[in-house]
Amino acid sequence: MPEVAPMNDMHAQTAVAAEVAPKIRLSGITKRFGGVTALSDVSVDIYPGEVHAILGENGAGKSTLMNIIAGVFRPTEGTVEFDGVTVNQITPEKAAALGVSVSYQHPAVLDDLSVLENLRVALPARVFQGGDPAAIARGMLADVGLDVDLHLRADALTVGQKHLLEIAKALATRPPVLILDEPTAALDQDATEMLFDRIRAVVAQGTAVIYITHRLAELRQIAHRVTVLRDGRHKGGALVRDVTDDDLMAMIVGRSLASAFPPKCADAAPPTNFAVAGLSGGAFHDVGFAVGRGQIIGIAGVEGNGQAQVMRALAGLEPWRGTVTLNGKTMTTAEVAEKSAYMPSDRHAEGIIADLTVRENATFSALDQLSRLGIMNRRAELAEVNRLFGSLAVKTPGLDAGILSLSGGNQQKVVMARALMSQPGFILANEPTQGVDVGARFEIYRILREVSQSGTPVIVNSSDAAELEGLCDIVIVLSRGHVAETLTGADVTEERIVAAAVKAQTHLADDPATPTNTRTKGGLRAFIQSDNATVAPLAVVIAALGLYVFSQNGNYFSAFNISNILLLATALGFIAMGQTIALLMGGIDLSVGPLAGFLVVVASFFINDGQSPQTIAVGFALMVSGALVVGSINGLLIRFANFTPIAATLAMYIGLQGMSFVLRDGPDGYINFAVMDFIGWKLGPIPVAFVVLVVVALVAEYVLRARRTGWQLRAVGSDEGAARRMGIRVDRVAVLGYIAVALCTALGAVMLMVQIGVGDPQQGVSYTLASITAVVLGGTSLRGGRGTFIGTVMGAILLTQVLNAVSFLGLSQTWQYLFQGVLILAAALIYSTARSQTKA
Amino acid sequence: MAQQAGLTPDGSFALDWRAIKFSRGFVTVVLSTLVLLIVCSVFAPSAVSVGGLSGSLPFAAIIAIVGLGQMLVVQQGGFDLSLAGGVSLAVVITTHLSGGDDAQLFASILIAVGCAVVAGVVNGILVGVLRLNAIIATIGVNALMYGAVFAVAGGVPRSTTPLMAEIAGGKTLGLPNSVLFAVGVTLLVSFVLKLTVMGRRFEAIGANPQAAHAAGLPVRRYQATAYVCAQLLYCLAGVLISGITREPTAFQGDSLLLPSVAVVVLAGTSLLGGRGFPISTVIAAVFLNQLSQFALAVGVPFSAQTIIQALALVFGIGVYSVRWRRTAIPREKLSNSEETNNV
Repeated sequence: MPEVAPMNDMHAQTAVAAEVAPKIRLSGITKRFGGVTALSDVSVDIYPGEVHAILGENGAGKSTLMNIIAGVFRPTEGTVEFDGVTVNQITPEKAAALGVSVSYQHPAVLDDLSVLENLRVALPARVFQGGDPAAIARGMLADVGLDVDLHLRADALTVGQKHLLEIAKALATRPPVLILDEPTAALDQDATEMLFDRIRAVVAQGTAVIYITHRLAELRQIAHRVTVLRDGRHKGGALVRDVTDDDLMAMIVGRSLASAFPPKCADAAPPTNFAVAGLSGGAFHDVGFAVGRGQIIGIAGVEGNGQAQVMRALAGLEPWRGTVTLNGKTMTTAEVAEKSAYMPSDRHAEGIIADLTVRENATFSALDQLSRLGIMNRRAELAEVNRLFGSLAVKTPGLDAGILSLSGGNQQKVVMARALMSQPGFILANEPTQGVDVGARFEIYRILREVSQSGTPVIVNSSDAAELEGLCDIVIVLSRGHVAETLTGADVTEERIVAAAVKAQTHLADDPATPTNTRTKGGLRAFIQSDNATVAPLAVVIAALGLYVFSQNGNYFSAFNISNILLLATALGFIAMGQTIALLMGGIDLSVGPLAGFLVVVASFFINDGQSPQTIAVGFALMVSGALVVGSINGLLIRFANFTPIAATLAMYIGLQGMSFVLRDGPDGYINFAVMDFIGWKLGPIPVAFVVLVVVALVAEYVLRARRTGWQLRAVGSDEGAARRMGIRVDRVAVLGYIAVALCTALGAVMLMVQIGVGDPQQGVSYTLASITAVVLGGTSLRGGRGTFIGTVMGAILLTQVLNAVSFLGLSQTWQYLFQGVLILAAALIYSTARSQTKA
Repeated sequence: MAQQAGLTPDGSFALDWRAIKFSRGFVTVVLSTLVLLIVCSVFAPSAVSVGGLSGSLPFAAIIAIVGLGQMLVVQQGGFDLSLAGGVSLAVVITTHLSGGDDAQLFASILIAVGCAVVAGVVNGILVGVLRLNAIIATIGVNALMYGAVFAVAGGVPRSTTPLMAEIAGGKTLGLPNSVLFAVGVTLLVSFVLKLTVMGRRFEAIGANPQAAHAAGLPVRRYQATAYVCAQLLYCLAGVLISGITREPTAFQGDSLLLPSVAVVVLAGTSLLGGRGFPISTVIAAVFLNQLSQFALAVGVPFSAQTIIQALALVFGIGVYSVRWRRTAIPREKLSNSEETNNV
């Protein structure tokens, strides 16, 4: 082994390091989530200048431990010390300030931002000081061997590339503490070697590296010290050189429990009852296997080699080709979907329905059998649930208890009960013991075995080779979607499974981390993929519509009409810019219309003819402060009182409308002419206010693309969880965002005031829907993270122009509505189709 | 965890009817309504007099019916802004196409129902199949429906046929017919939602479409169906309005949009989708209506009433958001805590 010599050197260093004070000391850490204990009384010391591996199976608590050090979770009990100082109330920002840098197993990469923006929003500004940011960023990527266009949107990266980007971010700050969570899961051999070189380099500079893995081989290559976790408990710690693989295996797996697996199928060659041949689909090709009665088949492989997709295909959730035979009968696609019972791996997302009761969760896919003529038979439902819960030993406080009141293991048993209740032809168990405590785990094995013995084929996908060894009679190992090896009988061992998976992995011909097609060439293509791509077609539509109306009515391009359209578009434009901010954050603000109207009503008490300049100034100040208050309330309700954006701003909508009517029960309070003249001042046909709108939009667009504020705003809308892990103060950004929405609306209100010239409580309300329409026309996505202020302004112009054109063409009000409806639906459909195609 | 409280000696669970807990929404809404009625009877007896109630209950009935429609959409995580257009179109079709002639009434109602089905299907396809955002899709469809409203009515109000006025505005056994319609619809919606296979699937899909999809349920079809059923309810409300109101305008539906959402939220249905509470929704409609009546009777200007409604709404959401906190956050944290292999 070539690594032997350098490793001995490192161990010599370690001996010195062990005498220095620990960089981080975790004492008696316990972390509970609801009823589930993820970590129990774990104490670990992390020293500078060495690689400390945290080893353990899936669900052992490794990631929870890491998240506690990174400040994402707070420990339920126990203390965290940095350099001998206890840190209370740890947050991601505080951990980052203490020098903790994390590369997450699921990269905290924002799909809606470019590669460069991802780096700049996640890293402190000092990293980019003193040079061209792009050049510095390119250096960071080169450091980890990632060669992609900096302006590429991150959703175009492969999984491997995202991991490298995540690692590049973690290394960039030259942190005193570097946490790497399963960094090699999606990397090939070369990238892994490169990463290990980088780790050795930073360790030599005194960095404390926490390396989370479940691979023993890697540990030997890179780590100095190891801590083993099992089921949330500390199972041992040692210097790597002092401990044998066998010792570590015993600590990780706990062989004593192996006897608790149910006995395997006694019959060596039972009659086949389920067979798959030539199964091909998106991520897998020509997969075939056969299961005999009483046998359980396992699917193994390194994560992401098509195992999950095979399961989903057999569940009818993904398209496939090939033949599937059940009890000698070849099934159609529809029959496969109908006969299968799928137990999803991500229980919280796909397995259970959090809002429903235990009983409802157990039965929602088998309701047909528990009903007569479409009406539920309550007695039959209770009897069936009781029968299955009895045989599965489900522990629940009651059938009408909420599903979340159960432990993970019992939740999983409810999922199994549901699968069994639909009387399936075969069962697909995807990671059946993930997040399940040890006791329940073996009961689940027992149940799967009983199901298999009763004649229902069982297919298990698991990333835990020891589990497959104990549970399965046959294991197929997938590599890049192909069956690399089929193990049967005595060959079904953890070692053989892992060896087959890893060996196949090293034979990969091409490098998944550096595909060739991600470098975009040419500015046009980059523009089409950018958020501002809608600007060009909008300009064409606006021009074409203008020319058409002009051909029908020569007055259309009169100075009066142009300035009229632009003035109307200015009010809508400002309000729509505010709405754009809300949508960029993944929210919405329904209160903008009534707010604009309310602010005009407020102004109509102060900004009148004959009032002193001071009073008029007070009027404007009140408009701004009113907006500030409304924006703050919206933001606080949404972020701190758990209101959905719709609920909060709807209540605000109704309230503001009421306030307007309280202040004025009809139109009154005429606005000062001098003020109106000043704001409505024109240069030729172009109102100066419109020019201001364009300038504001351009500045906002610049901030959105090139300033931290803009990146943070888009980060929150793109993926709040990832943004939080990056240390962005999500709540603060969101509250400030809603305040910005209200301030933009105040600018719109000033224009609205000039338009209507009087305090009218009925005005303004329609701007809510109009602003959403304008924003959608402009191309901002309601999913958050992607949008454009320039597009929004153009959307506002187009909408105003359409409404204006209707009267110039002599059409009735009917057409005004029809045009609006067709416009927004067409825009939404075109943009959503275009987005799904650029993603594909 | 395993407190086996409900366990009978033979180890199975028996359904104990006494142990059924009423939903928090139901308790909140019923209590608030009772308190309001008591306050009314002390401070504003006219608002709870027989005359007062029979005058105001038809409007509560209308809000209840559109609220039930909105509830179905909200249960699927959607939001239906085309309610306004739906109600208004039904109003103008029944008043204008019938031309004041009783013989034409049922034909025009059939046309209104046909339009409702078309609008619902369009909404359903846009949201359920083409995956457009519900707000955008229903803004668009709402505009299209208002186009139809003006095509039919030209913006001029017209009074309805005498027969319609009799059906919607009359009384049976002392109760306004519109109230009877609302009761009938409530019973129907409750029955379908709570006691049939379709309803149970509908709620499961709304509460977690991903899980429902993984279990093989036809998610998109159910999501689309919500919009069709909702439009049918808006249509019923519109037809009733055309009988109750002497000269309904073309914008009759606009004033119903916000109350419809308010009653859904007050009844405890999460705007994120999931379980629906039809009976609570209807009681919330009575509550909201009675709140206006009370305010009117004690002399609060009409203008201030919406502020009271907004406060009631904030209060209602505040009550439920406590529950959201308890379930929503652990879910997020739990999924983080597990080393899930699929993103």
